[in-house]
Amino acid sequence: MEGPIRNILVYVDGTEEAITAAQYSVCLAKSTGANLYALYVINTRALNDLVKARIFLDSEEEEYHRDLESDAERYLKHVNKMAGRKGVPVTLEKRSGTVHQEIKKYAAEVDADLLLIGELSHVRSRRDEFYHETERAMRLVHCSVLMVKDEERVWDLYDSLPEE
Amino acid sequence: MALVDLVKPEIIKVPLEAKSKEGVIRELLQVLVDAGRLDDFDAAYDALLAREAKGSTGLEAGIAVPHAKTDTVSSLNLAIGIAPDGIDFRALDGNPSYLFFLMLAPTNQSGPHIEALSEIARITQSKSFCKLLLRAKDSEEVAELLTEED
Repeated sequence: MEGPIRNILVYVDGTEEAITAAQYSVCLAKSTGANLYALYVINTRALNDLVKARIFLDSEEEEYHRDLESDAERYLKHVNKMAGRKGVPVTLEKRSGTVHQEIKKYAAEVDADLLLIGELSHVRSRRDEFYHETERAMRLVHCSVLMVKDEERVWDLYDSLPEE
Repeated sequence: MALVDLVKPEIIKVPLEAKSKEGVIRELLQVLVDAGRLDDFDAAYDALLAREAKGSTGLEAGIAVPHAKTDTVSSLNLAIGIAPDGIDFRALDGNPSYLFFLMLAPTNQSGPHIEALSEIARITQSKSFCKLLLRAKDSEEVAELLTEED
């Protein structure tokens, strides 16, 4: 495979914006022939923080952890289906830990040339710049980052790809 | 999902009128009903009380974060209330609670729910920021403080 984009990593976090990013990643992988990787990170750090802050009970932490496990399965399965429909192979990866660190590590492991993320909020506060996991990942990863916007346009683009 | 996406003046009540824990929960749920974010008041109320029965979400330093998973909402919902005189929310430290962040999340959106809750945990760690919130005179000012872009 040649060209500037050989390995694409898309981060899926269970939001609509991330699903749009995943759709666009399929379009990009299809047109460039790049390898596609999809990552979901179970945010165990946030879970631990919530227990420490006593917002969560221990039993709640376990319950939410199970929920996140099934969210991860469901969203990755969805990405797999989206990619499969267009004949694009995708490697699915589920990790646990601090989100931005896991994204950074996995991007390095798969030698990603490009990280795709969903659109971030329009209104941002300075606090978010410090704490928003995807935003931190965007600043930390070694590769270029593409923030996918315009859900309708991406949907049309994805829809226009021939099914396989 | 960032907390700022959820914060709008219409989901904020300043000051709260309720004088009891159950009253605060009802008042904040009514805020969500009035804002068109919640249809099934009773189901949401039951879910929140069931969570409170396991242990109070009244934390230390005057903060309370009542929360529950319920499919009576289709997306993450937040209501904020401020009680300048304090309310007995049966908090962990036994002191009155002043700032209330009530959150309802559908069962299939745990990721955004957890992120929003941990954002609340972070911002409420700042005592000076909490003081600013407590001094806010209306819902617009609370919304501005929480979404400031400086």
